[in-house]
This record gives sequence, structure tokens and C-alpha cells, in this order.
Amino acid sequence: MSQTAVKATPRLLKPKVKQTLFLSLLSVFAAIWILPLIWMFSLAFSSNEALQISTNSLTPVDPTAENLIAVIQGGMTPRWMLNSVIVTGFTTLSTLILSAMAGYAFARIPFRGKKIVYPLVLAGLMVPREAMFIPLFLMFAEADYHNTYEALMLPRIAAPLGVFIMTQFMAAIPMEIEEASRVDGASRWRTFWSVMVPMSVPAMTALGIFTYILTWNDFLWPLVSATQREMFTITTGLASLQGNFAQATELGSLMARGVIASLPLLILFFIFQKQLVRGISIGSGGK
Amino acid sequence: MSQKTIFSERRPEVPTAGNRLVKSVKKDFAGWGFIGPFMLIYLVFLVWPILQAIGLGFFKIDLLVITDRTFIGLQNYFRMFWGENMEWTLGNMWEWRIAGLLLLIPVFRGWRSKTLSTLESVVYSASLVVIFAGVMGLAPGDGGRWNDSLFWLSFGNTVLFVLLSTPVIVGVGLLLAMALNRPGRWTGVLRTVFFAPYVLSVSVLTLIWAFLLNPQLGLIGTFLEFIGLEPISFLTSPTLAMPAIVIATLWWTVGFNVVLYLAGLQDIDKSLYEAAEIDGASFWQRFRDVTWPGLRRTTLLVMVLQIIASFQIFGQVFIMTRGGPNGATRVSIQHIYESAFRDFNLGYASAMSVFLFLVMIVFSVLQFRFSRDET
Repeated sequence: MSQTAVKATPRLLKPKVKQTLFLSLLSVFAAIWILPLIWMFSLAFSSNEALQISTNSLTPVDPTAENLIAVIQGGMTPRWMLNSVIVTGFTTLSTLILSAMAGYAFARIPFRGKKIVYPLVLAGLMVPREAMFIPLFLMFAEADYHNTYEALMLPRIAAPLGVFIMTQFMAAIPMEIEEASRVDGASRWRTFWSVMVPMSVPAMTALGIFTYILTWNDFLWPLVSATQREMFTITTGLASLQGNFAQATELGSLMARGVIASLPLLILFFIFQKQLVRGISIGSGGK
Repeated sequence: MSQKTIFSERRPEVPTAGNRLVKSVKKDFAGWGFIGPFMLIYLVFLVWPILQAIGLGFFKIDLLVITDRTFIGLQNYFRMFWGENMEWTLGNMWEWRIAGLLLLIPVFRGWRSKTLSTLESVVYSASLVVIFAGVMGLAPGDGGRWNDSLFWLSFGNTVLFVLLSTPVIVGVGLLLAMALNRPGRWTGVLRTVFFAPYVLSVSVLTLIWAFLLNPQLGLIGTFLEFIGLEPISFLTSPTLAMPAIVIATLWWTVGFNVVLYLAGLQDIDKSLYEAAEIDGASFWQRFRDVTWPGLRRTTLLVMVLQIIASFQIFGQVFIMTRGGPNGATRVSIQHIYESAFRDFNLGYASAMSVFLFLVMIVFSVLQFRFSRDET
């Protein structure tokens, strides 16, 4: 009996020590991983004079918000942020509404032609969008529609991923819930809005946050379509400033723009991390 | 009489032929009404451009006068795929071609394990043989040159990026997921840390990394000096520029793979680990016999998604190196972009888009299959 006790003690202890050691090691690695982000923030809050001397500090040197304030008050950055907010907001909203509507029909209404149309939509999942920007460019050029918000939004709304996600989710909602509302005499349209949409909030949050991030970060299409400076999004605008930075003179100001461009996403990410992770898993067919 | 009318008013409850027709027409109406708005946008902005791209590839279109189109047949494709003094030799790029032909082995195994149907296996095998044994033997002979050598340079760089980035980003993703696959608050915090860069936009990524990699201003240069080495100018080095971009991309996107792998790890039956533990299996044995087979489907999916994403690389190189030094990081999308918007040749850019589209669709089809197959 005493023998087993002696044997058991180190066995119980060892994994715990190992676990702690392992987690500490992983934490060190995580700290290195996050360094580049911390560096961006600390440079953004350093004074430009201090940056002339050294750019290697991980805490703000001579801390000041002057770069941030200057960027918010002047130049094109506020306009680009506004463009991004408008384009991303409308794209996300439209994607959610149109995908939920189409998803509802595909999941619940037995209409003729569905067996042909749904596979056609699914096939769209396979289209690599980045390889298709030339014909899209020509289409909008012929209609003389470049440098507009619509041009920035419509191709992104055409993505079929949302329809796929919503169809899957709505097909899994129990039939009885919808039928109860239909028996009460509600039209399909009302049933959709008052029963199916509220029931689908989890899927729609995941889809919404995923769409928001992808749209905000779109680069190639806005680069091609919005060529006037005042129509840049923050993503293309920030890229346009990065051509030639040999010196550190602009560093603080550039990093401040980087901070401003990423803050809306980082905040959203910290609030909706779970939903985003869910969106990725469903969206890529991982389940 | 009045009773009869009441009865006949209730009659519609009983399905009749006409009644059913009305109901089904109503359903058609509702169905098409609900999918209508999306379908319209989908057809106009996704399906139509694909068909257009195929057509436009046969034209010469100048960016400055886009309505002025001249039909030139296959000339755009001729420019891409042909050159002067073309010769077929057995030895041309033989290492790559043998590597490509080795892909016949997984196809054969897929066929034997019934993952692939016979028709699919035949199509895949035939394509592999035609491409690697046949077409890739073609190259410009002595004194010859490609019509557009930049096309092949950028395609080669894209393939190089795919080959470098896929094992690295998938492998690190798997390792991190295994390390982070344990309960606890702290692990949750660590997951957030590794995932956070994924939400940044490409221009923030390049902003951070172009400076980070800068030999004078960046942290990496300082670190190298600190340990007594010369700071290296990664992005201007022909050999190190591409690996540096792979590392930056790893930092940026590995969180995505970690998420998929974590989901895959959750699906593995816990009792398998317990059984392995009782058998006294070592860490490596547990990985080889439980984790790795259990992640088969996830790994296939993650790899294919990574390949598709890597083929579309553009922003990182376009902003950080502009394809330099000396074309060492020039990639396919950049070549398409510049052919269209710098050289004003939209027809040629369309033809190249079709080529890239065809290459990528192979992997998309595979993704489609893996994500829907059970097991």
C-alpha cells in the first residue's frame, strides 16, 4: 500500500510541473508573437524627435498623442476611415439580409428550379475572386462606375459564402417553430422576419463579423476600382503612403495611421472573438 | 342549401389538383422572390465576369480606349505559353517534373481507398501525365526566349511562395493548435494573442513588417546586432526576400489554421487518448497513432485552403518589395495587375487571369470535396 502511494506521488506532481513549464514556454513565445503589434503602438505614441534617435523601444519614448491627434485632424486619413466604415457597413448589412433571405428560401421553400440554382450558387464558392478582377474592372469601367461606393461594395456582396452558411443554419431550425407561425396566419415574409431571423442570430453574428473583417481588409479590388485619393479605403490609403520610407521622420505618424486603421478591427475582435472563430470554422467547411 | 355553401367554402382544405397548382405556384413565387435579390447580384458580379474573362482573353483591349476591341484569336495565349526556338526536351526542369509525376501515387491511393472515383482518378492521372511528362518539356532552346518571360518568372515565384508557405503555415498552425488545445483561462488568452494578427489588414501588416525587417530601424536588425551579427537587409536580398515574406505571412495568417486545427482536435475521441495512456504510449506514439490520423480530414482542408490563399498572394509583395529585388518576389497577380494598369493591355491580363483561375480551381474543387466528405 505504501509502495503505491510512493509511486503515485511523483506521477501526480510531475504532470503539473511539466504543465507549468510548458505554459511558461508557450507564454514566452506568445510574448514574442505579439511584439510587432506592441512595437507599432509604442512608436505611434512616441514623439517624432525621440524616434529620430531610436526606434527600438517597446514602450513609448517621450509619450505623446500628438501623432495620433495630427492624423485624426488633418490629411486624408479621416476621409479614408469614413469610406471604409461606409463600404464595410453597407456590405456587411446587405450580405446579411440577402444571404438570410436566400438561405431561407433554399432551406425551407420547395420551389421549382431550386435543384438547379442551389448547386450553381455552391459552385460559386470555388471561384477564386482574386483571379477575376480584370473582367470586373472592365464591367465597371464600361458603366463609368469606378470611384463609387457601389463599385467597392457590389462584388463583395455577390460572394455566395453567406448563402451557404445561412442555408445550412436555417435548415437545422426545427420545422415546428416555423409552422406554428404559419398556422397563426403570418405570411412567409413575416415568418421570415419575426421567426427565422431572430432564430438565426448566432449564425448571422458569425457571418457578419467575418464579412466585416474581410471587407475592411479588401485590398486588390479597392486598389483597382477606387483610384482617386478621396475614394481610397483606409487599407489602400495606408498602402499608398508606404512607398518610400528610408528615414524615420514619418515613422510615428505612419504608425499612428496603422493604429487607427487597426483599432476598429482589434476592438471588434476582442468583443466577438468567439463568433469570428465560429464563422471561420463554418465558412471554410470545417463544420 | 346554406349548409352546402358552408361546406363548399371549407372545401379548399381538401387538396385538389387545381388547388395544389395554386399552392405550388405560390411557393415558386415566394422562393424566387426570396432568392431574387441575391441571385441578381450573384449573376451580374460573379458569374458574368467569369464568362467575360474567357471571352476577353481573345481580344486586344487598350486600357485607354476600353470600347475599342480587336479580336486576335489565341494571340494572348500564344504570348503567354510560347516563345522563340521552342524545343521539347526530356531533361527540361526534370526535377520538378518527376516531383509532379510522384503525385500519381496519392491519386492511386485515393482510388484504391475509394476516396476518388475511377473517373476522377483517370482524369487526374491523365492530366498529371500530360502536364508533367508532356507539356513541361517545352522550353526555348538555344538562342530562344519566352515571349513573356516575366509571366513565367512571376508564376514560378508564386509557385515558390506556395511551396514555401504551405508547409510552414500549416505545420506551425498544427503545432500551435496542439499546444493550445487545453482548457484554462490562460490558454484562452494565448489563443487570442496568436489569432490577433489575422484581423489586421494587409497594409498594416506591411507597415509593421517592412520596418521590422529594416536593417537600420527594425527590431530584427537590432536583435541581430545585439547577438553580434551584422544586420541583414532582408527585403533587398534576392534570396532572403521571399522567405521574409513567408515569415510575415505566417505571423499574419497562422491564426486561421490554428482555429481549424483546434476544431479538428476537439472532434477526436478522448477515449482514444485514454486508451493510449493506459498502453503507456509516448507523446510521439500518441501523435502518430491518434492525433495525426484523427486530423486527416482537417489537414487536407487546411492544406488546400492554404494553397488557394497562397496562390492569391499580392498585397504583401506589392507593398513591401514591388516584386523586387530584380523580380525575385514578383508574383502572378502583380504581373496581371501591371499588364493591365501599367502596360494598358487588358486582353492579355484577362487571358492570364483565366490561366490563374484554372490553376486555382483545381485546388478549389479539392477543397469542395474534402469539406463535404465525411471522415
